[in-house]
Amino acid sequence: MSGATPLFDRRQFLKASGAAFLAGLSPAGARAALSADALFASAYRGEDGRFGIATLTERGELVDRALLPDRAHGLAYSPATDRLVAFARRPGTYMMALSRRGLAEPVVVTAAEGRHFYGHGCFSPDGRLLYACENDFDARRGVIGVYDATDGFRRKGEFSSFGVGPHDLSISDDGRLLIVANGGIETHPDFGRTKLNLDRMEPSLALIGATDGRLVEKHGLPAHLSHLSTRHIDTDGKGRIWFACQYEGARDDRPPLAGSFAPGEEIRFLALPEDVTEGLALYVGAIAVNRSEGLVGLASPKGGFAVTVDMDSGRVVDRRRLASAAGIAPAPGGFALSSYDGHFRDKKLALTFDQHIAALSTRHL
Amino acid sequence: MRSTITLFAFGLGLLATPALAAVSGKAPAVLASAVDEVILPGYRAFDDRTGRLEEAMKALCTDPSAEAEAAAREAFADTLKAWGPVEIIRSGPALEKNRFERVLYHPDRKGIALKQIQAILSKKDESATAVETLSGKSVGVQGLGALEFVLYGKGHETLQAEKASHRCRYGAAIAGNLHAIAGEFVAAWQAPGGIATSWKTPGPQNPAFRTEEEAVVELLGIMVHGAEMVRDQRIRAFAGEKDAKANPKQAIFWRSGNTWTMIGADIDGLIGFWKKAGMEDLLADDQRSVGTSIAFVMKAMARTARSVSPDIELALSEPEERARIDFLMLNGRDLITRLSDDYGRALGLGAGFSFSDGD
Repeated sequence: MSGATPLFDRRQFLKASGAAFLAGLSPAGARAALSADALFASAYRGEDGRFGIATLTERGELVDRALLPDRAHGLAYSPATDRLVAFARRPGTYMMALSRRGLAEPVVVTAAEGRHFYGHGCFSPDGRLLYACENDFDARRGVIGVYDATDGFRRKGEFSSFGVGPHDLSISDDGRLLIVANGGIETHPDFGRTKLNLDRMEPSLALIGATDGRLVEKHGLPAHLSHLSTRHIDTDGKGRIWFACQYEGARDDRPPLAGSFAPGEEIRFLALPEDVTEGLALYVGAIAVNRSEGLVGLASPKGGFAVTVDMDSGRVVDRRRLASAAGIAPAPGGFALSSYDGHFRDKKLALTFDQHIAALSTRHL
Repeated sequence: MRSTITLFAFGLGLLATPALAAVSGKAPAVLASAVDEVILPGYRAFDDRTGRLEEAMKALCTDPSAEAEAAAREAFADTLKAWGPVEIIRSGPALEKNRFERVLYHPDRKGIALKQIQAILSKKDESATAVETLSGKSVGVQGLGALEFVLYGKGHETLQAEKASHRCRYGAAIAGNLHAIAGEFVAAWQAPGGIATSWKTPGPQNPAFRTEEEAVVELLGIMVHGAEMVRDQRIRAFAGEKDAKANPKQAIFWRSGNTWTMIGADIDGLIGFWKKAGMEDLLADDQRSVGTSIAFVMKAMARTARSVSPDIELALSEPEERARIDFLMLNGRDLITRLSDDYGRALGLGAGFSFSDGD
């Protein structure tokens, strides 16, 4: 099986999808969008089993939605170009770019031969380049695919991720450094989603030159935390990188589950109270930074729990229970939280949200 | 500071996680049955069959004959039948020390393992003829796939013709290696205070499961991932979707005609888990039809799998045969959905199992 095997008829799909995005909003959607302070997007599965991407207001009102070829996981949004990209969930082989303003045709990109997507990526600050986490699965190495967003998302090349299983990716505000969370877990599409190296994981966080792909610095984890998969990241306004983890070791261990570092510094783990660590059930599914309020949010679907931490003091300022808590994103007053069960802030929708939310109009909250 | 997660008008913040409340109280019996009636007997059977396989291979080496070769081949097929029901357990000891890949490295899409096996045979590598040294070699040369090539691949005639041939001793070492790994599985699952105890007694100090619900999710995961393996990795990988190019030589154990032996044994494993662990018992009375449908689909798949021709090229080209393969893929998809969505939801996983299988 080739990693580049298309899972769908691209032309047929493009004809049927994206239309909702491009044809303008429904009257109700337009009203919701006009009165909203903030807009968000999340991948979902609908009641009919089809997959898509939805835009929502900070009140959880559905603004619009568009179909996707298959299940998506994370999203990348460029405020500069208003492009939104949904990435297939591991080990998926597509990504789809849309524009909310209808400035460009939706584009579906199939993974390069021998590569699959991991579900996350990010734009350069000017929106001209898109970077995607990918698996060079036969060579068992992570790569960052580099795409030209000004040229139909043509794949320009790739960088090493300097680790195994690059899951999440971000970029410094000045666009010079790519920040990669190498989860350290080896997978191969021949084996589906099976984790192949749980007894020899190599999690790491790597900073890579965004233009030349050189390794600037790499943070491995100490031996006793080798089962701590560094999976998701966000950055604060001071250039500090916040990361969240998923633990693959014994269930009765109590490892740290989140931390931060600034370029040039060692990583520091957050010392979370026992009940919070307990609530997160060794599994943080999503992390978000609210820059304007100095907060970090963590959500755990396994624990059905979300927590807000003051980034300066490390103090927990809020904890919430929500079954299947999925995505988290900065919002006025803290964070917007979604769930697999269809919760999005104040609303319960007939959608199953995937694990991440992208803030479309509040990126630097 | 005011609440920083401006959430739910209906006060979700006050609720405890309701996940899998449906299984409460019923899980311990199911978990105990899974260990005592399915997992441990499954590994013991694999241990027994690999022991017989080792004996059969040694007998073939000592006293080569057509009968001895036939006996070794039969012991090989019996071993596959015993491996099927436990290979779906990708949990605990199977994930340690590469045991899973050492028993069966498949698929070998680029023929890397095949080249290594052929190199061992052509160079008459003596270090591959002792379990101790073989177990340190590439995972692709020390398991069932390698033994199939020894027994059925090019040059297998040597086995009958020559006493204590290098090829035969390599095969005997593979069988011995498999027996050793099987012994490790049994030892791990019957160790006092070990993984079996973890499965049976979830709790705060438990290294595997904190709650009964977590253990049940693991059990459901074995079923869902097992069904995905049967459909996607064992069948679709060589048969392709309709109209897609098929690749008969990617079928598992095509050389020995054991493709459907293996796939049938995998489905038997799913049925065994479902029935003997009593997974249906976790369903509320008004949800029993979910379980009935799952049992029906699995039974139909097991029956159909055994009716397909072992000649894979024929099975893919003959319309009637191909229809059976398509039936298996279609029902495999249906089984995955019924387990993940219908059964998962019935147990209290709101979005179903596969959707909650996070990342």
